[in-house]
Amino acid sequence: MLSRRKFIQSSTATAFAERLFAAPADSKRPNQELESLGGVALAEAKKLKATYCDIRIIRYRRQFVTIRLNPERGTGKTLEVPNIADGGSFGFGVRVIADGCWGFAASPIVTKAEIARITGEAVTVARANAVLKQRPVQLAPVKAYRDRWQTPFEKDPFSVPIEERLELIRTAAAAAKKDKRVFSAGCSLSFASEDKYFASSEGSSIQQLNLQTSAQVNATAVDVAKALSKSRRYVPPPVTAGYEYVPIMNLVENAARVREEVIEHLAAPPVTAGKKDLVLLPNHLWLTIHESLGHSTELDRALGYEANYAGTSFLTTDKLGKARIGSDIVNVWGDRTTARGLATIGYDDDGVKATKFPIIEKGIFKHYQTIRDQAHLIGEKESRGCCFADDWSSVPFQRMPNVWLEPGKATTSLDDLIGDIEDGILIDGDGSFSIDQQRYNFQFGGDAFWAIKKGKRAGMVSQVAYQSRTTDFWQACDAIAGPAYWQQWGATNDGKGEPPQSNSVSHGCSPARFRQINVIQTD
Amino acid sequence: MITKEQAQKLVGKVLSFSTFPECDISIGSSERASIRFALNGITTSGFTVSHFMSITSVKDGQIGNTQIDEFDDVSLREAVKRTETLARLSPPNPEREDSLEPQKYADIENYVQSTATARNQVMIPHVRAIVEGAKASGLVAAGFFERAATSSAIANKKGNFGYGRTTDAHLSTTIRNSDGSSSGWASQPAVRIEDIDGEAMGKTAIEKCLKWKNPKRLEPGKYTVVLEPTAVGDLVQLMGFNMLARSAEEGRSFLSKKGGGTLLGEKLFPEGITLRTDPRNKLYSVLPWGGGGRGGAAGMPAGNVTWIETGVVKNLYYDRYYARKAGKESTPFPSNLVLDGGTKSQAELIAGVERGLLVTRFWYIRSVNQQTVQYTGLTRDGLFLIEDGKVTGPAMNFRFNESPVRMLQNTIAMGKPVRVRGGEGQGMIAPPIVVKDFPFTSISEAV
Repeated sequence: MLSRRKFIQSSTATAFAERLFAAPADSKRPNQELESLGGVALAEAKKLKATYCDIRIIRYRRQFVTIRLNPERGTGKTLEVPNIADGGSFGFGVRVIADGCWGFAASPIVTKAEIARITGEAVTVARANAVLKQRPVQLAPVKAYRDRWQTPFEKDPFSVPIEERLELIRTAAAAAKKDKRVFSAGCSLSFASEDKYFASSEGSSIQQLNLQTSAQVNATAVDVAKALSKSRRYVPPPVTAGYEYVPIMNLVENAARVREEVIEHLAAPPVTAGKKDLVLLPNHLWLTIHESLGHSTELDRALGYEANYAGTSFLTTDKLGKARIGSDIVNVWGDRTTARGLATIGYDDDGVKATKFPIIEKGIFKHYQTIRDQAHLIGEKESRGCCFADDWSSVPFQRMPNVWLEPGKATTSLDDLIGDIEDGILIDGDGSFSIDQQRYNFQFGGDAFWAIKKGKRAGMVSQVAYQSRTTDFWQACDAIAGPAYWQQWGATNDGKGEPPQSNSVSHGCSPARFRQINVIQTD
Repeated sequence: MITKEQAQKLVGKVLSFSTFPECDISIGSSERASIRFALNGITTSGFTVSHFMSITSVKDGQIGNTQIDEFDDVSLREAVKRTETLARLSPPNPEREDSLEPQKYADIENYVQSTATARNQVMIPHVRAIVEGAKASGLVAAGFFERAATSSAIANKKGNFGYGRTTDAHLSTTIRNSDGSSSGWASQPAVRIEDIDGEAMGKTAIEKCLKWKNPKRLEPGKYTVVLEPTAVGDLVQLMGFNMLARSAEEGRSFLSKKGGGTLLGEKLFPEGITLRTDPRNKLYSVLPWGGGGRGGAAGMPAGNVTWIETGVVKNLYYDRYYARKAGKESTPFPSNLVLDGGTKSQAELIAGVERGLLVTRFWYIRSVNQQTVQYTGLTRDGLFLIEDGKVTGPAMNFRFNESPVRMLQNTIAMGKPVRVRGGEGQGMIAPPIVVKDFPFTSISEAV
């Protein structure tokens, strides 16, 4: 096995990036060399008479190990197909305001000369845009910070030997495949880190380290006679944490469950369409929260800035503080401080300190997600810290914080939710998801479905999707399980913007019950 | 942008650091300029240069891969070393394919200098034309204009080397009325930026927006639809991922036969349906080799393949590994798709429909059933009722649940193909078509 020191040397990005981001973990000040590089952009922008400038210098590391077990063509022998990848990226992006307009430019060549050149490009872009300026960009005030922040973690995932990770995923994949009726199975384990330095003309200098850990176990069963295949997955919550989180995922134990359930799924009868009560588990409901409540409460969408791509929102600004979205038990937070949340950070890409705010209180729409250049448009005095980009080469804009649903009463259990249902469906895991461009009409599938009959969980059913309207759906929520059931799931591929960006976000919730939702039978 | 000479030099350096029998290198670089606009003004714009290198080392079937974007000697040496370290730690890959022998790549470059160098002075006039058109009609414009130039190289220790360049541009716009009760959309992709016409696009989107006021609430159900080319491309581009021989043979695809085997050679579609991969089409600007990953079709010369010919499934996608196991020739990956059509205009297609719906485009299309290729999604930015061969008024948007396979099976008329790009995916070359029994399952109030 490789030693930790040797592995870090062989697995991290190259010498310059390594040196830049290698300041002691306990230091509260950013690396001086980063500050010096950042200063080049700020000075150049000032020289070119830009009224605002920020620079982000970012190094990414991504490691991915996967094992797939599938039959060999012709022999049927199970082949173990590995895939190990270790990649990274290093570059910087400069954002300026000149003549009242935004300009942005980015490059992977991190030198003082290139930073000065690219800052000039950003100013050129901003000045050119001024001919079609609607109104000058106005930024909400922000404090200046000089700080260093990192994801709380105990064990650096990049320091764990590859052999140890391989052993774990091989064991999990084998457990999922350990039945002749399972056609193929696999397991993967991924780690990503973002070392980011931010400096702005407001006086901030901030260095942050964000660590992500995620995994998946999957299995597929095939009935050749019927030309029919079904799959089942276990996706533990993707988190910002270190390797200490991996044992908590219980990959091997859950792989055995995936094996049993994929076989059951293959034989499961199709659902009978109609209005049914739904109990949605947190590993499913997170996605419904994301699409229907997360995106509809983004201010850039409500104002029309996203009209050409992701769309606008049914929650127009006249509805702020008034509109009923859900039942009285629906309380939803926007939160960039949630423990292990994928959108959790110290400061956003505007240099605003991470915060937490209510989005829905007792079913009523209370606050939008905002950034510095939007706050004044709805009469607010400060940003809610929701500005970020997915890469050094991407423009920071308004993205989603962790958006989570408050749990119900401490005494409410999952069995209580099920026990009160005559004809319903219990849905586990995410599947197909689609919602319109104003976030009214949606359709969600799932990964596995069980019938609920007369207050008890019955056998598995298949080909299930439910269709509803955001406000109808959340007003049909009549019970949420207690805090003991609250779990946080999420995604690393939330798309928005042009050019499209893909960001990470988490959504916590307890299992919840929704009455008389339209269930359809899919193919 | 990395030149051929620079790429060759980088390849030489990487190979000089390699100690394994096999080392594959892929280099990419790009330069992009973009303008985003909304609320009748420019919001964000960018100018981005980027590059990357992927290095894969192989010895005794063990594979290690890394991707970097620092190209100094120290970084390159470390990267090669890292791939070799990773390979030593990896179990052998039983589905690996050897590095390609030197290939002969056709000269299919369709690189346009004017696209590659266009900046704000070329792009802003198109945005201005759209915004001013919208303002003149009391409407609100949003949109996105991007142009990109790329250069790519592939190489390996066996002496294979390829270099290619591409350019492309794309402008799209959404026009809404000021109270948000109506919306129209238009889009145009083009290899030559001179072919983009912002003013004409703006007019199309404005016209749709003005015509879509007070949409009628129709009952969900099966309708005859006239799909504009973009709507066709939105769904048919998804067919490419479903032409895999492996999933068909393994019983996991719409091309799997009950009891075993595939539907290769079967007539599944009407005579009019021919779906092809055509990298040489001048509406595309592509590299002279294909994608599909190592062991897939990566590095194989790009070539024309007919997937469906006059309704018959003519070819399946065999990657290099699976082709070897099956004793077949490998095929290029199903990209750069062309759905052949006829000569009729969209207006002529509409004239032939007694009662139906005209669909501008689809949105938020997601897989519901991979095996049947069933997708769900919604109509967006212009859904109109057709009665007695004429567009008679706007209709509220619908959600659909349908497979492009069934959609093509139900196609009854086709118009002239054009290159399209919708809101999701890279698009394709597709004609407007008329489809019977297209199932809409619920109403969306969205505008």
